[in-house]
Amino acid sequence: MANDSPISLAVELGPLKLKNPVMVASGTFGYGQEYAELVPPERLGAVVVKGISLEPRSGNPPPRIWETCGGMLNSIGLQNVGLRAFLEEKLPWLRPLSVPVIVNLFGNTVEEYRELATALDGQEGIDGLEINISCPNVKAGGMTFGSDPEMAFQVVSAVRSKTNLPVITKLTPNVTDITVIAKAVEDAGTDILSLINTVAGMAVDVQTRQPRLANVVGGLSGPAIKPIALRMVWQVVQASRVPVIGLGGIVSTEDALEFLIVGAQAVQVGTANFVNPGVTLEIIDGLEDYLRQQGLADINEIIGTLEVPRGPVGIGE
Amino acid sequence: MLLRNAEILFNDRVSPELYHMGLLCPEIAARIQPGQFLMVRVQEGFDPLLRRPFAVHRIHHNDPPTSFEMLYRVVGRGTRLLADMQAAASLNLLGPLGSGFQAPEQDGLVLMVAGGIGIAPLPHLAETLVSSGFRGPFVLWFGGKTAADLVCVKHFQDLGFAVQLVTEDGGEGLQGLVTGHLEQWLSQQDELPKVMYSCGPYPMQRLVAEMAARLSIPSQLSMEALMGCGVGACLSCSLRCRPPEGAQDPHYANVCQHGPVFDGEEIVWD
Repeated sequence: MANDSPISLAVELGPLKLKNPVMVASGTFGYGQEYAELVPPERLGAVVVKGISLEPRSGNPPPRIWETCGGMLNSIGLQNVGLRAFLEEKLPWLRPLSVPVIVNLFGNTVEEYRELATALDGQEGIDGLEINISCPNVKAGGMTFGSDPEMAFQVVSAVRSKTNLPVITKLTPNVTDITVIAKAVEDAGTDILSLINTVAGMAVDVQTRQPRLANVVGGLSGPAIKPIALRMVWQVVQASRVPVIGLGGIVSTEDALEFLIVGAQAVQVGTANFVNPGVTLEIIDGLEDYLRQQGLADINEIIGTLEVPRGPVGIGE
Repeated sequence: MLLRNAEILFNDRVSPELYHMGLLCPEIAARIQPGQFLMVRVQEGFDPLLRRPFAVHRIHHNDPPTSFEMLYRVVGRGTRLLADMQAAASLNLLGPLGSGFQAPEQDGLVLMVAGGIGIAPLPHLAETLVSSGFRGPFVLWFGGKTAADLVCVKHFQDLGFAVQLVTEDGGEGLQGLVTGHLEQWLSQQDELPKVMYSCGPYPMQRLVAEMAARLSIPSQLSMEALMGCGVGACLSCSLRCRPPEGAQDPHYANVCQHGPVFDGEEIVWD
């Protein structure tokens, strides 16, 4: 029977080999344990943990979240347990699981990124690093690094020089031309790109005339941003030589397929985990079903197969 | 923590803004501890996007329990959608979540304080204490804006509670704020409560915690926050707390995971 033919979802993103292309996005899945009763991490392509800094961070004062039409604004401010507690308390739980663990890392200075990479390199149970140069919710570092090609180059070079682990660089959409940043971090030696982080936004309470977030501005995520993310992934895929992980507003198999078709080799699911904790498992099953329906046996047969009917189309043309 | 579809048994309007919903879901019912909550997906689709947190109001004490109730106030889009749902419809629940109320360390006077919809988690606690052999005496101080807020009073009376009602407009019980009358009442008691359980608006919770601290009474406060995930992943529902030894200041705890019930002494009030 055709339905019993084996389907391969395995993808290779340069040095990073995944059994399927569905990962969870940093900051939406804790350290894997939070959702483990509902989502066995081993079924996922990879787990990307909450961003880690050298020292613990308290994060921003509340309120930190506001729901918008089809989306949510957040300004968590990279609250995290810090490097030492991550290695001592969080990583041991993840280590025995047969799922690639990607550590998202964040620094206030280039030197902090370098120190983090040094400390994480060679740790058993870590399969890759994702450099966060795109958080909109912190004063130093974060998006400041990610929106300046020269700074982005420096950060990625610093990490690259200290690790042989696969290096992913996570890009911000809050720039005029994302391909410029993509090329800069590619030149600095990133193995993979992931995009997009949240879109900077805000909301106001008209009764009090105060911002809904204590931090005034935050990052917008959820299905509201998916078209922006898809457009940027498509642009970066065309401009870049390294594999791309697509994320931003994915809530369904169809969403994931759109990113794969425009050329992403894997996807990350973020905010949708909050709404439907089983969503990643549904997408993994859904991708298999889609391949069967299409008479295909390998997910790689659909990656980068966008058909543009009338030649290349530019933005606004 | 389970992700399940529950069947709506009833969804009754009990006052202009308050609804009382019965839900059938044996697996979740069997696990709920007093003070825990559920993240409810108010409809399929992604607008509104996020689940809403609701306290569990009561468990139906058949053995084993198979159903339970929520009491909720219509405050926005999500709760309006919930209010429109009919019996027999299905509702997707994530739960039970969070760490709930603890029983008092010894028998004696138990004081509960509720403001408005803050009454929601207290009946389950009251029933659990009574059925597990605590003899009390039990007192509930319950404040609302108007008499319409003061629901399920008879239920507490049937459990043996002395109930003191306060309304801001004086329409029922004493007039004013529950905290003002409570403070006066406490000053007249020969026996101080062994514990104060409280749920209500932030300013009320603060006054209750300060009163309890002054009188060296342990307090357990069920706190509210805007939530994203309900399981400790998104770090949105922060409440400023005293830092544990060696931790950074300010220290933020997740209401969903560390709470929703906090020791009043833990919280750093704005």
